[in-house]
Amino acid sequence: MGCSDNEIAAASLCALPGATAQRLNQLWRIWGSATNALKAVREGETDYKRWEIFKDPRAWPRRAEPEIIAATMLRRGTRVLLPDDADWPDTAGLDDPPALLFAEGNRFEALHTHAVSIVGTRAASPHGLADAYELATLCAKNGVTVVSGLAIGIDAAAHRGAIDSEGVTVGVVATGVDVTYPRRHVELFARVRDNGLVIGEYAFGTGPEQWRFPVRNRIIATLAGTCVVVEATHSGGALSTAKRALDLNRAVLAMPGSRRNPAAAGTNALLRDGATMLLEPRDLFLAIDTAAAVSTPWAIQHRVPLSPNAQRILDGLAGDAANVDQLISATGLEPAGVAAALRELERCGRVERKHGKFWPR
Amino acid sequence: MLAAIPSAAVLGIDGYPVIVEVHVAAGLPAYDLVGLPDAAGRESRERVRAAILSSSLEWPMRRITINLAPAVLRKAGTGLEAAIACGILAASEQIPEGVLNRTAVIGELGLDGTMRHVPGTLVIVDTLARQGVERVIVPVPSAREAALVEGIEILPVATLAELVACLKGEWLWANIPETAPQVIEPCLNDALDLGEVRGLTNARLALAAAAAGGHHLLFVGPPGAGKTMLAKRFPTIVDDLDQTHALEVTRISSAAGIPTHGRLVATPPFQTPHHSASAAALIGGGTGGRVRLGEVTLAHRGTLFLDELGEFSPCVLDALRQPLEDRTIHISRAGISAQLPADFTLIACCNPCPCGLGGNSCRCNEVMRARYRRRLSGPLLDRFDLRILVEGPGANDQRGATSNETKAVVLAAIALQRERFQATPFRRNSEIPQRWLDRFAPLDHGASKVLRDISEIRSLTGRGVARIWRVARTLADLELHPTIAAEHIDAASNMREEII
Repeated sequence: MGCSDNEIAAASLCALPGATAQRLNQLWRIWGSATNALKAVREGETDYKRWEIFKDPRAWPRRAEPEIIAATMLRRGTRVLLPDDADWPDTAGLDDPPALLFAEGNRFEALHTHAVSIVGTRAASPHGLADAYELATLCAKNGVTVVSGLAIGIDAAAHRGAIDSEGVTVGVVATGVDVTYPRRHVELFARVRDNGLVIGEYAFGTGPEQWRFPVRNRIIATLAGTCVVVEATHSGGALSTAKRALDLNRAVLAMPGSRRNPAAAGTNALLRDGATMLLEPRDLFLAIDTAAAVSTPWAIQHRVPLSPNAQRILDGLAGDAANVDQLISATGLEPAGVAAALRELERCGRVERKHGKFWPR
Repeated sequence: MLAAIPSAAVLGIDGYPVIVEVHVAAGLPAYDLVGLPDAAGRESRERVRAAILSSSLEWPMRRITINLAPAVLRKAGTGLEAAIACGILAASEQIPEGVLNRTAVIGELGLDGTMRHVPGTLVIVDTLARQGVERVIVPVPSAREAALVEGIEILPVATLAELVACLKGEWLWANIPETAPQVIEPCLNDALDLGEVRGLTNARLALAAAAAGGHHLLFVGPPGAGKTMLAKRFPTIVDDLDQTHALEVTRISSAAGIPTHGRLVATPPFQTPHHSASAAALIGGGTGGRVRLGEVTLAHRGTLFLDELGEFSPCVLDALRQPLEDRTIHISRAGISAQLPADFTLIACCNPCPCGLGGNSCRCNEVMRARYRRRLSGPLLDRFDLRILVEGPGANDQRGATSNETKAVVLAAIALQRERFQATPFRRNSEIPQRWLDRFAPLDHGASKVLRDISEIRSLTGRGVARIWRVARTLADLELHPTIAAEHIDAASNMREEII
C-alpha cells in the first residue's frame, strides 16, 4: 500500500514545531489540500507572523522532511487520515477536531461501527480490572468496537478483553503512533494493531507529555457512541473523557463502587451528577441501542455449587479483599482449610489472588 | 643472642602461627621490627620498652632486631607484644634458658607492664594447640576464654614482672578465674513473648516454620501491622546451639572482638543491622591484612534480621544472594583472602510500597511502585521460602500460643529433622536439594494431587513448587506427621505469595 503525496505532506507539516490541530486545520482550509499547504509553507508564501510555527523555512527540522516521513510510513505501514478521507471518523461535534490522524492496523471499519469507549484509572482495583475486561468481552462478542487509551490499568484490561474475544479494538495514543508508551505494553500494542487500530494525532517520535493526554481524550470520546467509566479517581483523566463525551451528547455510563475504594470516587461522583448507572450488561446495550444483546448476562456465573468451607470464605470476604490471616480469623478455619477453600474458589474463578490478598469476583 | 617465641595471629575467623624471633647483638642501640606488622604493631615498640622498664627489668642497650615469621603475611593487632617482650628478655638472658620451651605467649602490654586481653584469644589458642604447643602464657582477663580450648595448658599472668618471676620459679602462676564476671547481657528475649501477639495465625505458623526448618522469611505489610513485633520474637522460639555450633559461634565472637566472658555462646546470634549498612558491613570486607567480619558471618548459626528491607541499598541486598545460596562467603582483597561461614536464617520485613499502606488505600503512583519493586530484585525475593502479608490482627482476635509452647513444637520438629538427615550433609528441610525431595519429603497421594493443582492454578515454576514442597515438609514436621499430606501443601501454599 503506497501513501499519497497528500498524506506525506500532512504528516510533514504536523511534525513542525508548534503545529497544532487548529493551525493545521486552517492551513487545509486556506490551501485546499495538504500538498498545496506544504508547498506554500516551504516556499515561504505563508504569513509567518500569523503562523508562528514556520518562522524560518530554512530551519526545517529533519524529522519533518517529507522523504523521511514517507520512508517511515512505508516501513511501518502507517496511514494518514485527513478530514476529507472516506475513513475519517465522525468529529462533527468537536470544537477542536484533529487535523489528521495517523493510523496503524488493519481494521479501518472499526471507525464506523458501533463503538464503546471503556476508560478508567491506571490505579484500578482488581474488581475494576475484572469488570473492564468482562465488559470488553461482552462488547466484542456482540460486534461492538472497544475504544480506549492503551494506558495501564482499566485501559489495558479493556483492550485485552476485546482481543481475547476476537473483537475489534481501537487504541488512541497521546504520543506518536510509533512510540510505545508505557513501554511494558509493547506486546499489547502489537495485538491491538493486529485486532484493530492504533491511532494518534501527533507526529512520529512525539514522546509522552502530560498535557497531551487530556487533549487526546476528545478523540476517544468522539470515536465511541457510548462512554463507560469503570473506575476513576476523583481527579482522574477518565473523567475528562467522560466530560468530552457529554459535550458530544454521547451516553455516559459509570459503574458504582464502595466509598472506601479511592478508585471509585470519580465514578460515584459521575453517577451523582447524572451518569447512567451500569449494573448489568443490559444497561450498556440499551445505551448502545443494539437490539441484539438486550438480555446478555455477565460472563462469570455464580452458579457452581460450592463446598461449605468455600462458602464460608466468600461470606467471610463479604465482597471485600482480605489476606489469609484475616480469613482465618473471620472463618475460624485452619490455615490449611482456608488454603484448600481458596484453591477451590480460585479454580472456578470466584476469587482472584493478588499481592497476598484475595479478591471476590 | 637469639630467641624464638611461638605465638599466633588472627585472619578472619582462623588463626595462623607466628614465630617471634628476637636478635640482640652488639652495635649501636637500635630497635627494628620487621615481618609486616600493621600500624598498631609498629607502635608496640614504645609499649614493650615502657613495660620492660616499669617491671624493673633491663632494656638491652644493644641492637635489637625482631622478625615476625612468616614474613610475607601481614600481622594485625597487638597480641604479639608480650611475645616480643619475652623474646627480648630471653635474648638478653634475663629469663633462664629453656624455660620457654614449647611455650607460647600472647597478650597486649600496658605501659606499666600489665598484660591485657587479646581479641580472638579462643582462635589463637586453638591454633597454638593444633601446632603442638604445650603451654601458653595468657593475660588473666583472657584466661577463661583460652581455657575453652582443650589439650593445652593455660598459664595466666597479670603482669610482665609476674611472668618473669613465674618463669624463674620465684612466683606461682595465677589461677584461671573460676567464674566469669557476671554481666547482665542486654537480652531482649526475656521481655518478649509470642503470646503477646493477637491473631495473625498464618504469620505465626510461618515464624515457627522458619525456626524449625531454617526457611528464609519475609513479612510484608503496612507500618504497625506487627511485622517487626513478630520478627523480634523469633529468638524466643529457636533452638539453643549444640556444643559444636556453640564453639563455632564463640570463635566468631572472639575473632570479631565481641567479649565472650570465657563462656560458650549458647543462644544463636540475632543480628539486626540498620538499613544504612554498606555491602562490606553486611558481607564482610577487609583492609591492611585484617578481615572485617560481616553481619552474615556474625549471624552464622543464627538469624540475620533485616528490618525495612526496601530501604537497604539494592546492591547491598544483591550481595546477599551468594551467601544465601552457598551458606559461606569468600572475602578476597588485595593481599588477603578468607573463607568465612555464613549459615543463617534470613528474616526480613518491608512495606508493600513507598507509602507503606498497600492495597486500595495506597497513595503511590505506578512509577513509584515500580521503582520500589526494582529495589528488591526478583532473585532475592525468590530466596524467601516464606512470604507473608501481615496486615494486623482483627478486632476480635485472641492472643495465640506463647513462646514456650511454640518452642516446644519447634524443638520436636528439629528432632525429627535430626533423625532424617543423619549421615547427610544437611541439617534442615530448607537445605534439601530439589532432586532429593522425593526421598526426604515423600508426598502422600492427596498431597501430590494438590501440589499439581496449585502449580497449575498459579503457574508455578519447578523451583516454586520445590519451595512449597520444602515448607510443607516443615509444616508436617511441626505436626509430627511422617508424610506430607494435602493440608500441609495447602498451608505451605498460603505462605508463598507474590506480595510485592
